[in-house]
Amino acid sequence: MAEIESDQLQRASLDETKVKNEDEEEEECILQFLDSLDAYLTLVDSLSSSLRQGWFDLASARQSMGHTLISSKLFDHKVHSASTTINITELDADNPSDPKPQFSLSKWATTKENPSSEVPNNSNLRHRAPTSVLEDGEKSNGTQVSSVVSNDIQKERSKSLTIFGGLVSPKLRTAQVSFETALDKIVEIANARSSMLSSFSQLQLNKKSSS
Amino acid sequence: MAGRAQIPTSNSALIAMIADEDTITGFLLAGVGNVDIRRKTNYLIVDNKTTVKQIEDTFKEFTNRDDIAIVLISQYVANMIRFLVDSYNKPVPAILEIPSKDHPYDPAHDSVLSRVKYLFSTESVASDRR
Repeated sequence: MAEIESDQLQRASLDETKVKNEDEEEEECILQFLDSLDAYLTLVDSLSSSLRQGWFDLASARQSMGHTLISSKLFDHKVHSASTTINITELDADNPSDPKPQFSLSKWATTKENPSSEVPNNSNLRHRAPTSVLEDGEKSNGTQVSSVVSNDIQKERSKSLTIFGGLVSPKLRTAQVSFETALDKIVEIANARSSMLSSFSQLQLNKKSSS
Repeated sequence: MAGRAQIPTSNSALIAMIADEDTITGFLLAGVGNVDIRRKTNYLIVDNKTTVKQIEDTFKEFTNRDDIAIVLISQYVANMIRFLVDSYNKPVPAILEIPSKDHPYDPAHDSVLSRVKYLFSTESVASDRR
């Protein structure tokens, strides 16, 4: 009799622990969702500021260079690849029912049409901004490598500007920087969106399983 | 959700844009412009001559391409094809609604926020809009 009671108590205690763990997991999921939601809204607000600055600089450039010199009619329609691209990796590939893509920006990758710049041994370095090259701890060769990478990036930046002519207004360069900043925020927003939707679908699953 | 497709991982996926001329110009300056061998671009400039059908077709094209990671769409343009944007539910490409010069961002219309608002409300999203 005492054994049966002890078993029952043990089972009740295990059930209680299980429920407690499930509650904790759900709370963690809710927190993750709310964090992602907050990050999403904050980043969108920040994006709006960067875009406003970019539009303002573009308008200033148009005023100094002339409306006909900054127009969509000048866009390059020859075959060319984007210099700034996105890398997609999948977080938690072991859970195919809850895909969570992770986006990262690859700015100003040099194109294959420009083989004149020296290629560093690690080809990944060609796709990174100078600051991340130095963060790798390769400071002894970093100065040479970073200057090569920096020159490549400057060449790609200038190529984007030359569609509007050889001599462009400084405001157009400032607009370029504003839109580059906007791109950084867009990638962060994409990641916040991915995290938010992932936590949301997890919460929906928990809701269905508990009802 | 059953039957979710695997995320196509990629090292050099594109950012597509459906927006006004100034927004597209700015992002092209930032190096995201791409023209493939079929002379197809990764952007659509929306002006007063652009039809809703063109926007719909471009949205469908961009969301079905394997080489596009993110589709940026001005929110006022997304409002023209709201049903299509709201019914999109793939993880990649990610659809991001952005403000435009003349139309500031409104979180009430954002398709992602509308989807998750359901978590906080007993009413459905569709009934909120009526």
